[in-house]
Amino acid sequence: MQAPPPVQPPWDPQTLAAIDHLRLVAREAVAGFLLGGHRSVMVASGVEFSDTKPYTPGDSLRHLDWRVLARSEQLVVRRHRAEQELSTVVLLDASADMGTGAAGGVAGIDGGPASKWAYAVGITATLIHWLVHRREPVGLGIIAGREVPTRWAPPRLGGVHAARLYGTLVQTRPAGRAHLFSALADFEERIPRRAMVVVVSDLMEEPAEWAPALSALVSRRGDLRVLHLHDPAEWRLEYDDALRLRSPEIGRPVAIDPLDAREAFEEVVRDYLVEVREALGAWRGRHVLTPTDRPMAATLAELLRGM
Amino acid sequence: MTLGFLAPAALALAALAAGPVLAHLARRHPQRVEPYGAMLLLRRMLLRRRHRRRLRDRLLLLLRVLAVLAAVLAVGRPEVRWPGVDTSQTPGAVVILIDNSLSMDLRVDGGVGGADGPTLLALARESAQRFVRGLPEGTRMGVITAGGQARRGTGRLTTDRSEVLSLIKGVRQTQGGTDLSGALGEARRLLDGGGLIAAFIDEAGPSAVEGARSELALLGEQRVTLQPHAVRAERVANVAVTSAKYGDGLEGGTVRVKLASFGGPEREVPVVVELPDGTAINTFVTVAGDEEAEAFVTVPRVTAGGVGTVRITDPALTADNTMPFHLPRVGASKVLVVDGDPGPTPVASEVYFLERALAPWGARATGQGGVLPVVTSSSGVGELDPDIHRVVFLANVADPAPLAAPLVDFVRRGGGLVVSLGDNVTPERYNSALAQLLPAALRKARALVARGEDGRATALPDLSLSFFQPFRRGGRASFGDIRWGRLFTLEPYEDGPQVRTLMHLDGGLPLLIERDVGRGRVLLLTSTLDIDWGNFPLQACFMPWVQRTVGYLGAEVGGGEQRLTLRTWEAARIQLPDATPEVTVTGPDGAVPAFVRSGLLTIQPERAGEYRVETPGAPPLARVAVTTDPAESDVRPGPSLLGVAAEIDPARFTRRLTLAPWALLAALLAALAQALLATVLARRDELAEQLPAEVILET
Repeated sequence: MQAPPPVQPPWDPQTLAAIDHLRLVAREAVAGFLLGGHRSVMVASGVEFSDTKPYTPGDSLRHLDWRVLARSEQLVVRRHRAEQELSTVVLLDASADMGTGAAGGVAGIDGGPASKWAYAVGITATLIHWLVHRREPVGLGIIAGREVPTRWAPPRLGGVHAARLYGTLVQTRPAGRAHLFSALADFEERIPRRAMVVVVSDLMEEPAEWAPALSALVSRRGDLRVLHLHDPAEWRLEYDDALRLRSPEIGRPVAIDPLDAREAFEEVVRDYLVEVREALGAWRGRHVLTPTDRPMAATLAELLRGM
Repeated sequence: MTLGFLAPAALALAALAAGPVLAHLARRHPQRVEPYGAMLLLRRMLLRRRHRRRLRDRLLLLLRVLAVLAAVLAVGRPEVRWPGVDTSQTPGAVVILIDNSLSMDLRVDGGVGGADGPTLLALARESAQRFVRGLPEGTRMGVITAGGQARRGTGRLTTDRSEVLSLIKGVRQTQGGTDLSGALGEARRLLDGGGLIAAFIDEAGPSAVEGARSELALLGEQRVTLQPHAVRAERVANVAVTSAKYGDGLEGGTVRVKLASFGGPEREVPVVVELPDGTAINTFVTVAGDEEAEAFVTVPRVTAGGVGTVRITDPALTADNTMPFHLPRVGASKVLVVDGDPGPTPVASEVYFLERALAPWGARATGQGGVLPVVTSSSGVGELDPDIHRVVFLANVADPAPLAAPLVDFVRRGGGLVVSLGDNVTPERYNSALAQLLPAALRKARALVARGEDGRATALPDLSLSFFQPFRRGGRASFGDIRWGRLFTLEPYEDGPQVRTLMHLDGGLPLLIERDVGRGRVLLLTSTLDIDWGNFPLQACFMPWVQRTVGYLGAEVGGGEQRLTLRTWEAARIQLPDATPEVTVTGPDGAVPAFVRSGLLTIQPERAGEYRVETPGAPPLARVAVTTDPAESDVRPGPSLLGVAAEIDPARFTRRLTLAPWALLAALLAALAQALLATVLARRDELAEQLPAEVILET
């Protein structure tokens, strides 16, 4: 009886090498990060006491603190923190604009300076690695892009799952338009309840367009963190002379004199950030503004603060 | 004010202005293209900056183009020219010219709403007095007025300032036109050499200044300088009666009134027509702004003749609110038939046919529009009353000699005469007695056909003649049915301005000839008006022909006395009858001085209204209706005196200002401004470039 043919791995050696490198990068980034347990934000029944609150109609009588009632004749309810497993889903924006930036390439993989996409892949891999290390389920959704092996991977545990996610990150190339509103709405139905959602994107769409999609995303889960990537050179218009700038998503170049436009552009950036923060703040989302020249460990620390 | 260039060819350099524009456009298209991931923000910025940037860029472009154009303009050596005189040197002799014509009676506030501001003449006097007080001591001065007829205030120039001020103060308002030409001529003669004419006029109306062109041309030759001081009203609105005339035709019965508006909005004006017997007829006429309007006022069927008045109510220029007009005696019979051949039967008489043609409904129905002729025999010419009769038919009268003198007088004063012939007529008598009236001398009666044959046909009339105007609508063919068996031939004559052939037979024999005599006309019919020599009275065209003849000849206003219509300050010359005793002339303000020489009476009325020339115990010899000059009612601003003078003599009456230095200054300023702006903007860009990178991230 002939043995069945060996299962061919889905990646070629170069991809595997890239994955290994990515894992190393992630491990290195996580090494400097404080390890520790995190707590659910949900308050429920459990063993660990959280706090008390005055009784209000509708509270269960089982949670009444009888001792306080006997001593002070006040109705007080005891609350406990739930201890449970927390899923994390990373939604990665792979639109064409994410491919612009310093010089392209994946930071730490080819040794070149980080583009927005390279930084996004790096920070996503780091996050996956850290969560897997903590034995917490992690999922991945890809918004836009091309050559995407798996657009949606639900949260799971284990190294095999992590390797598959690394493979997706390495093979995906930025392309197309994000259409953030419809993309977030699509993923909202797939993401399990009580999961932490991390969106990694440059948010280069009008906040008024994508902000409404946050309401459903947040109402069922309660923890939304947005890693807002930007290339400092693009935001400072660091060009020597007049030129035409062309967006990969839109195509039509725009002539600009950077010396002439810089001051006004700063104002626009300020106003835009205010809009983004207001849009996220309305749905209790955390805004983590990250330039691509920032160390990933620092970004990860800010992203996971409070977990 | 006009703009001219001493070097217009240099303006071709204006093409250089395209340089900054091309440079501006060229710098907008860089070639280098870079991928960019924050296009959302870039587009926001472009939208926000579009307006500001556009302004900034365009301001720079504008300044650069302006600098080039101003420099080109400076090279072209522009200069502004406007009518004016050099007043820096005070002349030794000055004539004060004051317009005291009717239009100067306009009040400064237009008199609208019952306001009682000063008149333009008062302002002119005040201004002239101020001017005189400002003249240096020893200046020789004179005063001339231009209202109606130019008049000198002083026989020669004087250095007595108080006398001149007194003369100016004494200038009175007239109702005459503006005799600017005469006044300038008088001023020129008074100066008798170089000097200055200071003209205080309103420059109103289109003709006041234009009429003085010839005199303006002479000023330069005499080295006389003109310095106009225009006096103008704050509000210009005047409505005037410009014409009033009793109906043109025999059956007129209406007074045609014309009003004109000069400035101001549309108005409804109350109009009163006062007839000579005191009857007042009221109506309203709506006059649009700067337009004319007319109204027809029907007079009663029986009205006394004389001079009536049309009066309107308008606060501005009250003198032109009235207009006198002549009205003949209305309601009397106007046709006299001198019947030279009563005939044995009615149908053998011209009167029979004329009565039926003129009053088809009979004698009792004349009030319905017909005219019942008065019939008299050839000896009854004493019935001829020029105040009553307008047309006389002389029908087959054997001896016209006794009628000749009154008929000649009647026709010369506007009456109409129809001479029809017949068996009683002797050519020699007619030719000698009526030589002043007949269009052509008569030869003899001539039979055209043998007895029992049809007569010679009449040629169809030429409808282009005004006599046959009513037949343009129809009836012309009926003339072709008229047959003539006999008529008088005429001595050779030629159609001309005074004599015209209105009708003739087929073959060319003249049938109806017209002649102008004085203000009246004579029609000669070379045949009969009954059915003796032809069938004319039996044809359908006879009745309209007779009525047209009466209307045609009776068009002119006649009357027992002479009737004249003049404008103020216009001389009237009236021929007095022989051996006229003492003559008095009475005007609206009482007796008027008149001059009589060789039986010719001359008056020059200064005020509008009715003037009567009378002898004691007799009807008026003449009535004169004096009206104001309609040109004076036009109080709207007309051509400026200095402007017209500058057209005639540009060198003397044109001032110039060279703009080249100003253009050069403008070019320098524009260049400097654009340089400053460009520097400031560049500095701001440099500062923006030096901002630390964290400025953005920290936000």
